[in-house]
Amino acid sequence: MEKIKRLSSRKDLEKLRQEIKNNRDPRQRIVSVSVSTCCVALGALKVVEAFKTELEKQGLKDKVRLKDTGCSGFCEQGPAVTIYPEEIFYFKVKPEDVPEIVTKTIKGKQILEKFLYRDPATGKRSRKLQDIPSYKHQLRLLTENSGKIDPRNIEDYIAVDGYSALEKTLFEMSPDQVVKEVKKANLRGRGGGGFPTWIKWETTRNAEDEIKYVIVNCDEGDPGAFMDRSLMEDNPHSVLEGLIIGAYAIGAHQGYVYVREEYPIAAENISIAIKQAEEFGLLGDDIMGSGFSFRVKVHRGAGAFVSGESSALMTAIEGKIGEPRPKYVHTAVKGLWGKPSCLNNVKTWATVPLIVLKGAEWFKSIGTEGSSGTAIFSLVGKVNSTGLVEVPMGTTLGDLIFKIGGGIRGGKRFKAVQTGGPSGGFIPEKHLDLPVDFDELNKVGSMMGSGGMVVMDEDTCMVDAARYFVDFLLEESCGKCIPCREGLQVLSNTIKDICEGKGKDEDTLGIQDIVTTMEEASLCALGKTAANPVLTSLKYFKDEWDDHIRNKRCTAKACRALIKYYIDPQKCQACMLCLKECPVAAIEGGKDQVHSIEQEKCTKCGACYEACKFDAIRKLSAEPVPPPPPKGMKPIRKRKN
Amino acid sequence: MVELACQHCNYKWDYQGENEYYATCPRCRYKVRIPEDKVPRVGRKKLSLESKKKTLTEKRPVKLRGIAAIVNKVVQEAQYDKGMLIQILLKLQRSFGWLPKEMLTEISKQLEIPLSQVYHVATFYKAFSLAPRGRHLIRVCMGTSCKVRGSHTILERVQNHLSIDKDGTTLDGKFSLETVNCVGCCALGPVMTVDDDYHGNLKLPDVDRILSKYR
Amino acid sequence: MKNLTLRIDDKDIPANEGMTILEAAKNAKIEIPTLCHNDELEPYGACRICSVEIERKGRTQLVASCCYPVEDGLKVKTRSHKIDKIRKTIIELAAVSAGIDVTGRMRELASEYNADLSRFRSKVKTDPTKCILCGLCVRRCIEATWDTAIGFIGRGVTRKIATFPEKVSVCTNCNHCYSVCPTGRISSIGADPKFPEVDDILAGRE
Repeated sequence: MEKIKRLSSRKDLEKLRQEIKNNRDPRQRIVSVSVSTCCVALGALKVVEAFKTELEKQGLKDKVRLKDTGCSGFCEQGPAVTIYPEEIFYFKVKPEDVPEIVTKTIKGKQILEKFLYRDPATGKRSRKLQDIPSYKHQLRLLTENSGKIDPRNIEDYIAVDGYSALEKTLFEMSPDQVVKEVKKANLRGRGGGGFPTWIKWETTRNAEDEIKYVIVNCDEGDPGAFMDRSLMEDNPHSVLEGLIIGAYAIGAHQGYVYVREEYPIAAENISIAIKQAEEFGLLGDDIMGSGFSFRVKVHRGAGAFVSGESSALMTAIEGKIGEPRPKYVHTAVKGLWGKPSCLNNVKTWATVPLIVLKGAEWFKSIGTEGSSGTAIFSLVGKVNSTGLVEVPMGTTLGDLIFKIGGGIRGGKRFKAVQTGGPSGGFIPEKHLDLPVDFDELNKVGSMMGSGGMVVMDEDTCMVDAARYFVDFLLEESCGKCIPCREGLQVLSNTIKDICEGKGKDEDTLGIQDIVTTMEEASLCALGKTAANPVLTSLKYFKDEWDDHIRNKRCTAKACRALIKYYIDPQKCQACMLCLKECPVAAIEGGKDQVHSIEQEKCTKCGACYEACKFDAIRKLSAEPVPPPPPKGMKPIRKRKN
Repeated sequence: MVELACQHCNYKWDYQGENEYYATCPRCRYKVRIPEDKVPRVGRKKLSLESKKKTLTEKRPVKLRGIAAIVNKVVQEAQYDKGMLIQILLKLQRSFGWLPKEMLTEISKQLEIPLSQVYHVATFYKAFSLAPRGRHLIRVCMGTSCKVRGSHTILERVQNHLSIDKDGTTLDGKFSLETVNCVGCCALGPVMTVDDDYHGNLKLPDVDRILSKYR
Repeated sequence: MKNLTLRIDDKDIPANEGMTILEAAKNAKIEIPTLCHNDELEPYGACRICSVEIERKGRTQLVASCCYPVEDGLKVKTRSHKIDKIRKTIIELAAVSAGIDVTGRMRELASEYNADLSRFRSKVKTDPTKCILCGLCVRRCIEATWDTAIGFIGRGVTRKIATFPEKVSVCTNCNHCYSVCPTGRISSIGADPKFPEVDDILAGRE
């Protein structure tokens, strides 16, 4: 890059874009390696180093360009390497494989089958992304560019028509027209509430104060959700562009980006993006010569789920504790430092440039009547292909889990899917044909939330899952109001007693009073929706609760206090593996002697169950444990066929 | 009343407050220096730093030592802005490792915030630690996806291996253990981070192997 | 200041713009119970006992009357079967941490709403603290001294009030904390640390 010239007019940006496109030879060999957090966890940085060394060794350093990009959505298949211009996608690449790839594919133009995508359910290999079943059912609008551009290089973003929406807004539209366009598109907030975005924008715009703020909420506290992290890491400029357009529509000149503490790479990438945008004149004074000025600051969170709530986020930016306040006077009228502030989620801001560029009609044509556009979900849990998926609103849950997710891992049976984080609920099998939509999910007692979708199978205990969410909220509650703080404590202890076999029938009745009080009288939405997981679990899985309370039995055999482990003497091969794994030495046996578990010492950690390769260990719940085998019993050796 | 112009965002306003050195820009919150000739120095505000009483002129600035110096460097970078309390605490936590009581007292003095508020912020957020931490910080993720894949067994294994409890530090000061609610690597559950390294797809034998690498 | 009228319990009550429902009701001599409210301090909204039912755009919802600003023509109900049940449950929930030996305003409200203070105590194993974390003592001390000797620490269930030993000298013996406490937790007049010291709480000794 030569010396950066500040863009001072619309023509400058168009000229720059043309220049960048001209300088890029479409036949240039590029090797792009995905370096988002998940891929780094699987060793992507070592792969990058290996490529650097190997390309240098083979004298290809000047002919082949090495690029760091974001993720393409196949989270468990990393590290992912893509080779252009042929668009060859390799997955699960290790540093040792790099020399072979450089020699055979880059130099030799030969495709290596063993690195192509392998479907976890069918085992088939796919050459093109479009052939991958979980990919072809998606509609990747927001995440399309994530795997193609370098998030730390603004020129990559400009080359894919980035900032042209901003250009169109500043020079062809008035602020009112922008708000009208967003209203026509029926954009609803992607942070969880599904509140119409144009109402928030208009309220802030009409508030009587000269100073207004716009805020990006990247405090993705929902456990199991990582869409915001992915967007912020892989395409921060799209969020920035949406923020500037929104600020122009509202009339704000100062913006804040709140990134939580657990996302260091996302915070770094957005800071670099802001700096580069300022250098190019796309932020700061007199953007592109239009007369509009706007500045952005990044604020880090400090580890509190409750600070993701909009009023709590604003007090956290002010440097105080993240305590929500009752929103009788909306934050759009009195927010940060008492000024009108418009807070939206990362995905909402990132959708705005698309609406401006391609028009509200196009956006409304995707999705359903009540919810237009696409939704990004993090499909995780017990599915075969976990990862980030983007589908048009209205796709059914069954399609998401079975067509795109590839079905349940290990061939087990589907039990429930949890959506919406700790404010959402469990959806059982009978509702699998429900279309994914803000209003439809509310009808069955759950909610769409930010987009986390955790799939559970027959080995997950629903009472334990409800307990998990109550414990999570108990730890994260701010503790200001009595219903939430004390109510969650009582709920947590009640469910703990049930899981340990001390439950009583009247417990479920006592819960009802507390739940009503929390729902009606809590200060903020955390307390109001805290009981949703418990309510949906009780509604759809009442038989499991009754089993726990009356029969002291855990149907899914997951609650430790209600299960016992037992080694089947007919199957045990006396291999001593479980004996070595047991942390409390509770297994008796020897090299040629069938093993047995001493029930008094056993802590039910499950280490032996994981270690056994012969399926000899069984979990029993509310059944009498058979007596231990006679001492010195020899194992029945299985004949090898 | 003083007319001030913010050099950062060019906002102009009439300042009517009582500060003598810095005013806060209402739009972008940057600190704007009040020109000396525009405000008469009518007595000093009640300052709580003992050494400030000894300061007479700018020609003999007081040299702060020890923790006061460490804190002053970060507070100065943040331009003495009270709203940056959390960012200041984060920086100090990262560079110093933990927040001793003396540091919180210094922050309260230099930023002129009541000590009770500094303590409440430092104990409200989980990122701050008011006790010394071990050299390596282990964080086991307890998010929904990791839990469904058995993160509690991983946590137990780490606890047994190091003989410490959650939120504890080993006696030799090498490891500290914490749980965290979702680091964002949900597809690779169960996940554990040691300092800045992420380890995903964990099975029980992996735990011992990873911990021995850091010993 | 604009004058408006709202309907509380089927009576037309005059109010000024900027008042809260609680203030308007007090002026009209209508009783709404409170625990964390004090006329001299800013409304806090922590105890939720002052919840009343309002009707707006055809929907009813429960709001805290100490914080909700008055609107022209607002319909408010301060007593009903549902509201009484919720207030009773809130007092019972407050007793989970505070215990059953509370005195003062909380004891009065408990007998008025027939609350059984030991209903949920059996579920919890912590020692009773007699404190409902209404924050009145802390807020009063901030008004009086700015650099208080007592303050909140922690969040959620671990939220407690602690004394900061270095700041005990700030206490002016005004005894306002003793006079505002609604449960009788602060029982002595004078400047001894009425709450455990912060170092003890952080070290787990309290």
